[in-house]
Amino acid sequence: MISVRDVTKSYNAGRTAALNGVSLDIEDGKNIVILGASGSGKSTLLSVLSGLTKPDSGSVLYNDRDIAKYTEKQLTDFRRGTVGFIFQQYYLLPHLSVDGNVRLGADLAKNTSYREIIDAVGLSEKLKSKPSQLSGGEQQRVCIARALAKNPRVLFSDEPTGALDESTGRDVLDYILRLQSERGFTMITVTHNRNIADTADVVIKMNSGKIVETLKNDRKKNAYEIGW
Amino acid sequence: MLIGLKDGIKLIGISIVCAAAVFVCTFMLNFYIDVQTVEQSVTEQMRALYDAQISMCKFVTAITGGVLCVITAVMLAFYIKLYVDANAENIGIIKAFGYSDASIAIRFWVFGLSVLIGTAAGFGLSFAAMPAVYRELTIDGLPDIAIRFHFSVFASLVIAPTAVFTALACGYALHALKRPVNELLRDKADKPTKVGRSRSKDRPFLIDMGLSVLGAKKSVVFFFTFACFCFSSMIQMGVSMSDMNSDMMGMIILVIGITLASVTTVMSVTTLVNANKKNVALMRAFGYRLRDCVYTVFAGYVPFGLIGFAAGTAYQYGLLKLMIGLMFDDVAGIPEYTFDLGNFFIVLAVFIATYAVVFWVYSYKLKRTSVNALMAE
Repeated sequence: MISVRDVTKSYNAGRTAALNGVSLDIEDGKNIVILGASGSGKSTLLSVLSGLTKPDSGSVLYNDRDIAKYTEKQLTDFRRGTVGFIFQQYYLLPHLSVDGNVRLGADLAKNTSYREIIDAVGLSEKLKSKPSQLSGGEQQRVCIARALAKNPRVLFSDEPTGALDESTGRDVLDYILRLQSERGFTMITVTHNRNIADTADVVIKMNSGKIVETLKNDRKKNAYEIGW
Repeated sequence: MLIGLKDGIKLIGISIVCAAAVFVCTFMLNFYIDVQTVEQSVTEQMRALYDAQISMCKFVTAITGGVLCVITAVMLAFYIKLYVDANAENIGIIKAFGYSDASIAIRFWVFGLSVLIGTAAGFGLSFAAMPAVYRELTIDGLPDIAIRFHFSVFASLVIAPTAVFTALACGYALHALKRPVNELLRDKADKPTKVGRSRSKDRPFLIDMGLSVLGAKKSVVFFFTFACFCFSSMIQMGVSMSDMNSDMMGMIILVIGITLASVTTVMSVTTLVNANKKNVALMRAFGYRLRDCVYTVFAGYVPFGLIGFAAGTAYQYGLLKLMIGLMFDDVAGIPEYTFDLGNFFIVLAVFIATYAVVFWVYSYKLKRTSVNALMAE
């Protein structure tokens, strides 16, 4: 269970408020989508939830442990054991192969069967390729494989299918959702794509650093049922 | 303007190396010219020592000037490459608008300013130190040698290097700019990466990452090895020369060695750390501990540091043995040079301690890289 209470975060010495008293509860194993326009605070919320940044005030409780009060070392251990990331900008290590990049996540989790994930995202033929030899969509799939290979308890993703064409995007999203359902990890996704929200258990809409609406999906759609 | 005067002036590393080279070469060349005015006063018994002094002037000028010239050229090329890479997008935009490679490359003349500043400073400092140096170099029995300004020395050590290195900067920039506009405009992360042999399949990530860090920046490996080489050779040489009753020359070599080693170490380690900040931030976002990140960035450099140290030891021993053998063989009072094991171990201990501190300081720089900066980009 993740509980966020009255979290605030500002930048530029307090002049720009990114989060303005955000509170929410996320049950384990749920698929959460955060929707919002640019500058609404959704990426900052993702950062705070994942322990990448500390809030100015408020608490972020993982099973009653407040990670907002963690030291840098505790936060590192927390990220090591708990979270995985799918970044919109991929952030692949340019001099390592697909295999090496995925092992960044797999080695931390001592996951020796990570090649199955590479197969599942359709990159088994590109195992030895460097990121510069891959298309944007292929790089995004490496980023996804790297996050999943870490066996995270909570997977954070920022526009996970933003760089993929419709067909690949559906296949990859379907794979992530299937894995999420099988392994039961919590998934928190930030996106502009309202259609992806149809696959979520809970949809959180943000504006000006606040949660303006929280919706529960009675009937989740799968990746092939949504528009693109 | 794409390249400002500030870009040229801030290459302080090049200025320091140039200043060190010109500082030594100026007093040696000046002394070489001035001492010949008193050649008639040299007695038969002083002749061997006089000839040895003349040979030493030529030898030190050639070694110091030659080695540091090569280093300056490599550093200049290194900086220009870094500059072109860091500003690839802006250069791409300018090229897309129709500016030719040559018209952009000519702007790189400002990089020659760092050479001018360094050589001029070295020349001035050398003249300031010249009375003391002349006293040290003048053999007992010779009349006092007057210090004269020689335009040829100024032209060779200030004007010529500035002109040559400015031309080299423009020429190398022209070479570095010969990349398609599309490639320059693409994000740096998308730059084509050289594909080497396939690496071992099951190597742990941290080892693989460490090796890739090493392979990605070969110029940094060279500079780091060279920094360790300078540290080892110049400090051991300085100590040995002090032991051989040449305190001032020993001190000069010691100071130049420490300066050169500091400049190249700071330059190489800063480049290494800057190139890996993003990778380290990513690793830390995934939960790798700082010590693992520091290991991947620095561990591969340790063997090269030791190779540099060993090469520096062999070089200084060989050079001193050769110099003393060739120049002072017929001169009485010059002790035979032998390898000083005690000095070697002291310098080795100082070397290890110094580089441990450098890595420790730079690991804090890596630590300060905000993990959140990744998300904010």
